[in-house]
Amino acid sequence: MRAKVPFEFYTSSQLVEITGRRAIDLKEFVSVMKEIEESSIFYHIHHAFREHHFAPGEYSNDYAHWVGEELGENALAEKLTNINIKDFSDLGALRKKLVEIVEAHLQANPGNGEVQAKHKFYFCKNIGVVQSTKYIAWDLEEFCAGLKKVGLRSLFFHFFEARLRLGRKSNDFSDWIKDNFGDETLARRIEALDPYIYTMDQLRDKIIALIGGEKETLLAKVFKWLKVK
Amino acid sequence: MAQSKISEYAKIIRPQNFDEIMMLAERVKGKRVKMVNATAVGGGVAEILTRVVPLFNELGVKTKWDVIKGSGPFFGVTKTFHNALHGAPVEITPEMYKIFNEATEANLAEMTFDDDVVIIHDPQPAGLIAAREKSKAKWVWRCHIDTSHPQPDVWTFLKGFVGRYDASIFSTPWFARDLPIPQYFIYPAIDPLAEKNRELSAHEIDAVLRKYQLDRSRPLITQISRFDHLKDPVGVIEAYRLVKKTINCQLVLAGGGASDDPEGTQVLNRVQEAAAGDPDIHILLLPPFADLEINALQRASTVVLQKSLREGFGLTVTEALWKAKPVVASAVGGITLQVIHNFTGMLVHSIEGAAYQIRYLINNPQIAKKLGEYGREHVREKFLITRKLRNYLLLFIALDNPGKDVIQL
Repeated sequence: MRAKVPFEFYTSSQLVEITGRRAIDLKEFVSVMKEIEESSIFYHIHHAFREHHFAPGEYSNDYAHWVGEELGENALAEKLTNINIKDFSDLGALRKKLVEIVEAHLQANPGNGEVQAKHKFYFCKNIGVVQSTKYIAWDLEEFCAGLKKVGLRSLFFHFFEARLRLGRKSNDFSDWIKDNFGDETLARRIEALDPYIYTMDQLRDKIIALIGGEKETLLAKVFKWLKVK
Repeated sequence: MAQSKISEYAKIIRPQNFDEIMMLAERVKGKRVKMVNATAVGGGVAEILTRVVPLFNELGVKTKWDVIKGSGPFFGVTKTFHNALHGAPVEITPEMYKIFNEATEANLAEMTFDDDVVIIHDPQPAGLIAAREKSKAKWVWRCHIDTSHPQPDVWTFLKGFVGRYDASIFSTPWFARDLPIPQYFIYPAIDPLAEKNRELSAHEIDAVLRKYQLDRSRPLITQISRFDHLKDPVGVIEAYRLVKKTINCQLVLAGGGASDDPEGTQVLNRVQEAAAGDPDIHILLLPPFADLEINALQRASTVVLQKSLREGFGLTVTEALWKAKPVVASAVGGITLQVIHNFTGMLVHSIEGAAYQIRYLINNPQIAKKLGEYGREHVREKFLITRKLRNYLLLFIALDNPGKDVIQL
């Protein structure tokens, strides 16, 4: 089946800018978190995931890493690591949740707000440079082939950046499948993947496997129909 | 060693990442860039420019590299400034500022800046920003040194220049200062095709081990660094002695020459005293350009140690990680960006901690192997010269799009 509109694979590279904002304890941390640009939240929440794509680490984001390793606040670090970014479709809501988690922790442990970290947290942000790759897909087969060929930055762009930074409601893959093939089930299954517990390579394989599985199911339906006939 | 071609890196990084670098280069093709630093040979900046400049040209970015001229007194002053920026308590006199400014004026009279981007490396040529009014270029100050605790007088003097640039680059976020211009961070990087890092044959490694009379059948612990008390070589020997109680191992402490450095000679003497009487401690005073030897020693090691008390970035750690070696290193400076504890290596805070982790890794080779593999992948993604090229290309694009968080090409 041919799509009405082809899927064009984009990729996004990041240049990191140092904002000059920093925090030595949780009180300062919360105060900066309330004001810092959204591109900083986007950077720190995905930095570890994006850079350590060869294996999932102990912490899913930079905030959890700092809180755990530099402040020794293990319970808070676990709460920050466990945050499901897919529950948020904009960075403002994600910021609010992160602040709420730390403030609730400080309310329960009032003495911990001014405990100094071994090293400060340096708030950075990223400048995303988005460009088209040479790959486009007119059907699901071409789509899987393209997904195998593009870099992990492209996967990151369409699966994470599009949703959280560019304000789209779902990932680009699910949107394209739903809009062009009307396959809401497959779109939902891809959207339901929990990307933060996989490496980027594993996530790519999962998406390809879901699409492959869907194609097999369609084939099975055709065979069944032919058999009945 | 001959300069490597850009296409050779396609075999080292993911092909998709290589393609993306080529795509970014296509967007800035034809841009004229000038790099300026203080020395053509010797030192890390010259080393990286030697590798990077030809690669940029091959990518279509017309890159020139100029070196400023200076007298003996000028370089004496800039060395003092360098130490002061590192936080050393040195005396700064008005005469020093005068010598610095005069040398800057002399260089300005001889240099032209008809480029699109000018990248000035480190403090020595920072004053060239005075040429900005007559140039259409974007000016970038690239700081390679740790300026996290500078002596205020020298920093105030330097800030007068740096604040007039379009942007600055630092090696880690904590080296950055309060400046009125954008500050980007670009990690230092190693070249995987350089003599110090290229793949070696077993024959080449064996030849080096034979040369230094090392026994390949027993575990080898290695620290590569100059003989400087901040690298804690005596602490390394103490850690080794703790390990030696249960494991019949060898230690290599290898570093550059110290004959022209009185402090280095003192440290070397202390190290030799501490090692006296143990034939399994090998103190190797390597000549300059002993890159093949360093490469072979790192590759032959069972565990690579970096027990620094303070560290800038720690490129010797990067080199060891790239060779997939299990690394035990102090949690100081830029080492913490490279070694993620129990993931890409082991971070320690004491002699005892170092000894424990060395024993643990020698006795658990599967875990050591996994750490080494993750360490290599970590370097492949973040600390290779290809990442540096990508970041510079992004910088050129960002300079043309000031104030934008997302740039759609």
